[in-house]
Amino acid sequence: MSRKSISLYLIIASISFLSGCWSQKELNELAIISATSIDKNEEGQYVKTIQLINPSNVAGGLQGGGGGQSPAVTVYSVTGDSVLEAHFNASSKISRKLYHAHANLIVFSEEVAQEDGIEDVLDAFERDPEIRPTARVVIAHNTKAGDLLKSLTAVDKIPAEKVNGTLEFTEQYRGTNLEVTLQDVIKTLTSEGKEPVISGFSIKGDIEQGKKMDNILKSEQDTTLETDGLAIFKEGKLIDWYQEDMAKGVIWILDKIKQTDVELDRDGKKNAIVYNVIRQKTEVSADTKHDMPTITINVRAEGDIREVRTSINLKDPKVILELEKELEEKIKKLLEDTVMRTQQNKTDIFGFGEEVHRSNPEKWKKLKSDWNDNYFSNLNVEVKVEAFVRRSGLRTNSYFSEMKDK
Amino acid sequence: MERAKISAYQLLVLIFLFEIGTAILVPLAIEAKQDAWLAVLIGLVGGCCLFWIYHSLYSYYPDIPLTEYMQRILGSVLGKVLAFFYVLYFMYITARVLRDFGEMLIIAFYPETPLFAMNVLMVLVVVYTIRKGIEVIARTGELLFIIMMLIGISTIVLIIISGIIETSNLEPLLEKGLKPVIKTVFTQTLFFPFGEVIVFAMILPYLNQASKAMKAGLLGLGLSGLVIALIMAMNISVLGVNLISRSHFPFLSTIQTIEFAGFLQRLDIIFMLSTVIAGFFKISLYFYASLIGTANLFNIKNSAQLAYPLGLILLILSITIASNFSEHVYEGLQIVPLYVHLPFQVIIPGLLLIIAFFKNRKEQRKRNS
Repeated sequence: MSRKSISLYLIIASISFLSGCWSQKELNELAIISATSIDKNEEGQYVKTIQLINPSNVAGGLQGGGGGQSPAVTVYSVTGDSVLEAHFNASSKISRKLYHAHANLIVFSEEVAQEDGIEDVLDAFERDPEIRPTARVVIAHNTKAGDLLKSLTAVDKIPAEKVNGTLEFTEQYRGTNLEVTLQDVIKTLTSEGKEPVISGFSIKGDIEQGKKMDNILKSEQDTTLETDGLAIFKEGKLIDWYQEDMAKGVIWILDKIKQTDVELDRDGKKNAIVYNVIRQKTEVSADTKHDMPTITINVRAEGDIREVRTSINLKDPKVILELEKELEEKIKKLLEDTVMRTQQNKTDIFGFGEEVHRSNPEKWKKLKSDWNDNYFSNLNVEVKVEAFVRRSGLRTNSYFSEMKDK
Repeated sequence: MERAKISAYQLLVLIFLFEIGTAILVPLAIEAKQDAWLAVLIGLVGGCCLFWIYHSLYSYYPDIPLTEYMQRILGSVLGKVLAFFYVLYFMYITARVLRDFGEMLIIAFYPETPLFAMNVLMVLVVVYTIRKGIEVIARTGELLFIIMMLIGISTIVLIIISGIIETSNLEPLLEKGLKPVIKTVFTQTLFFPFGEVIVFAMILPYLNQASKAMKAGLLGLGLSGLVIALIMAMNISVLGVNLISRSHFPFLSTIQTIEFAGFLQRLDIIFMLSTVIAGFFKISLYFYASLIGTANLFNIKNSAQLAYPLGLILLILSITIASNFSEHVYEGLQIVPLYVHLPFQVIIPGLLLIIAFFKNRKEQRKRNS
């Protein structure tokens, strides 16, 4: 072959391959999914609900007109005997290729999680290269998963964004919810000695009303999406919901608390002093010397006093020390209550088993088969808390002190 | 053999890229569970020993490649038969790596593209480069080495600052003792990727300073071994052992886990770039070895002529060696190391070295007397 014929051959080959990607799709041929959810209907089929973004209605603002007239998302529900079949059945309703790579939220219904167990539906999501392993997973509490996607939201026009944003900020400032990704769920499901926890979300208000544009044209929405508890799993099945303090306790032991508040009673007044945890570190360790392992939870919290509704002398270091002691007791009780309830539920959501495994693999081999039901629920768990009050905001004593002196 | 020279630095770079090749992409040594990184490091030590064997052979015959000096050592007939088997071996492994590469891109990024299209594109690039000779490959290596380093360092920094590393996943260390680790070394990491450095027994004669071969080789091997061990340790600490043993490409999952500052996410392109760059070098160098082996065996003066026909064979071979990916991986992990790599990388070169040693001593005595 001469040089010319070779280059000709190369050019021809390039033309056929370089003109574009093999299965290229233009933007106007794609249906960009923002969230998906899985329910089950009466016949036992899976119902997959898909929330699609209407790009022209999200933009709004500068383009004028567009936004505000019609919803930013469109929702379709499809059924199928398997998750994937439902996905393919969607093609009979949607004119574009479903594009998953931007979907950042997966919602499972309480029903699926309670009855079949969440592991039944996860594989299709994990296997697909288009779906993000970092997509957030939530459980729809007291509502169908599909309905959660149908409700329109203000501020964040795309409901999926609103759900994710809410999760992120409650985790950061309140510590009662947790951002859990698809990958996290599967990791804890397969891990020996740790069970998953997933945040719950629910609809407050009328579901039908939430679907209408009217809902977001008001200053106060009739129907809103709110975080609602923490779903506790055992062997893939949802068995309990933790709310408020109990949920906070779980997240504290998992060392995921970033900021939160702790209230103290004082002089007979309830919640008179509010302590704001700014940073904390929780370490779980296992002592496996004896027959029955002992778990120690070490908490070290730092923070400020941010609200005082009583006359207390915050200038006195001794008072601060006193407060610290009280805080330690309070946090300790919170964590102990959480551990006790979880031991009654017989599911090791804290990963104590993993800790035993790490510190004594030999012993773990004997314990693991009966860990949740027998050993975990009878574990001796010790909680040690160190709390530090560092500052008290812009003021020292509260004006309550002055008013009392008058 | 073509008339070409590469420098010691270029050799180091080529060994590095070659070793990194597919090794950072697959769940290497995951049979050793959380101690996979340790199995890689021990495998590296073994790999250095193997490199010493190849280097000793090279120092007896510094001007000719493996397939030629085995004819001098074993005599023409036996040597030629063995050299032919070596050419087949290199071809087969080239096809395997090409298949790995194609499957990887299809599974992760192009689910609807046929394997043939993937492989054709790669073969065209490889054939083109090979026709330009080893010097061009080496210079490309120098350039892409820097790019790979930049990609690697930025990936590691991103993984660390996005806070997804959980070092507790690496514990307990040596849960079941050293035995499973050693077993993994001798069934996998010693041969793949470190033993594969035998390809350089074909390329060492091009080195312009023979005295630096050992140093460059060991440095290249050592650097690549450390990087592979680091990446395995990082995969384990980010994903955990269970997830890795269920995935084809753990490094891809690790990269997908990165979420930094709300916008640095889905960095799959990093994985794709390193796949294509490292895959390209592994395929090119293996292919080059089989090419000069063939040319040498059949006395073909201009080895570049062989690039197209061999490329075609390579393409067809890569598609026909396995009918599905599971079969391909099974063969790669269970059959190839023990029945193919072990004899070609360890036993035969070891025997060659022993024979060469006695032969040379005899000749030296003759000369002395």
